[in-house]
Amino acid sequence: MSTTLATPESGPAKSKLWKPPIVGLVTFVLMFLAVGLGHTMMIMIEHGLGRETTLAVSPLLGFTGIIMLWYGVKSKNETFQTWIGFFGALIVWMCWIEFFYMWYGRMNWGMLPRMDGLNGAGPLEVSGTYPEYMIMGSTIGTLLMMLCFYTFDKDTRCNMFLWFQDKLGLREGLGVSTKTAKDRNYAIITFMETIFVTWFCYAWNLLTFDPALMGKGDLFVAVNLASVFVAVVWAGFCLTRLIQFKRTATALRYAIPVGNIAWVNVEILEKLNLMSHEVFIDPWSHKLEASVLFGALLTLIVLLLIAPKKPSEIGRRITPATES
Amino acid sequence: MSDFRQTRRQTRRQALPVLALLLAAGSASAEKLIMPPGMGGVPDIGAIPCAVYNDMMRIGPLGTRHSLITWSAGYLLAVTGKPLQEAVNAADRTGPPWTYARLGDELTGYCADNPEAMTRDAVKEVAARLKSTTP
Repeated sequence: MSTTLATPESGPAKSKLWKPPIVGLVTFVLMFLAVGLGHTMMIMIEHGLGRETTLAVSPLLGFTGIIMLWYGVKSKNETFQTWIGFFGALIVWMCWIEFFYMWYGRMNWGMLPRMDGLNGAGPLEVSGTYPEYMIMGSTIGTLLMMLCFYTFDKDTRCNMFLWFQDKLGLREGLGVSTKTAKDRNYAIITFMETIFVTWFCYAWNLLTFDPALMGKGDLFVAVNLASVFVAVVWAGFCLTRLIQFKRTATALRYAIPVGNIAWVNVEILEKLNLMSHEVFIDPWSHKLEASVLFGALLTLIVLLLIAPKKPSEIGRRITPATES
Repeated sequence: MSDFRQTRRQTRRQALPVLALLLAAGSASAEKLIMPPGMGGVPDIGAIPCAVYNDMMRIGPLGTRHSLITWSAGYLLAVTGKPLQEAVNAADRTGPPWTYARLGDELTGYCADNPEAMTRDAVKEVAARLKSTTP
């Protein structure tokens, strides 16, 4: 989550369209759609290859993301690094986490899915908490442990961790960051950011959905409505910052958490039967709608790719005079 | 004082049926099969519709098959007095072997073909076939 708000010194790219709030809004919509269509992509891969083949080849497929990351890290182009880091992380998350947990839970450990309607309140049916999500729920401790690295890392640029460092009085002890923007490789930064944001948002949802912790009654509803409140305020606050961005690469990185936090609401509202995101998880029954959304995502990606970039975004390090 | 005692005795006598009803209600509630919260699966896999079983198979094939095989083992023991291993050993003498995989396939196949049936029907069917192949 390496983020920097645009400053007057950095200057806008010369375009009447690609300026605040357009850059921020486009990247937000893109990332929000990307989360939903990530689900669709997984289902399409499973459908195309068959479940058993998918689970068998997923560890190898995951290396595709690492190879992409390797190319990204070698590049000097920040925009390229950002896109590669993002897509590489999506592939790795999908193959090494989702599909691999799926194999472990469903095919190796013989776990059973959680069921709805066991108390007779509704029809007996498989709930959305599949074995892989039960495993993922148990990784919350690992997630928090690994987030300690970013909390206590003096070189982190993520605003949230900087805020923690500030509130915990860590700034002085950690010292001044020794890295400048030029020292950072945005491919690995975006890669790790995408992984951790996705993991965090999954953990958030899984924790508040867990019947062993929240039950199925008033506490469940109260906690999840509180979650919606937090997610709306958090995503809304971040969006107000995002729409001030001028650089597309920076906005893309900032939009990853904003889109994911906003998506937390979709999962909760679906769980509370207040809305459905079936278009993403059952694209075969909603071919037209899913195609429109997929087309919209591709259009936004193309628009961002052809959007005017500042020299620093495409790897040309120049003097501040020419940067504007 | 004696009136007071009598009234208390009467009240107790009247309260007894109410208490009995409450206890009955309480014990009925305790008898319900309730899964530990958070745990996957169903409390009685032999008593669910095959359609639900088929859906569970889609999500957790290994565990779902195993649950029903285990339920079948209990059923067979109750019906024949033999543990599953003995039952399949006896049946094996007259035909192709009844392996763990075959048992699972037979149960699952029945449910796939008869989604409107109950899982216990699948178990009964397999138990009957086992019995018919036992000399």
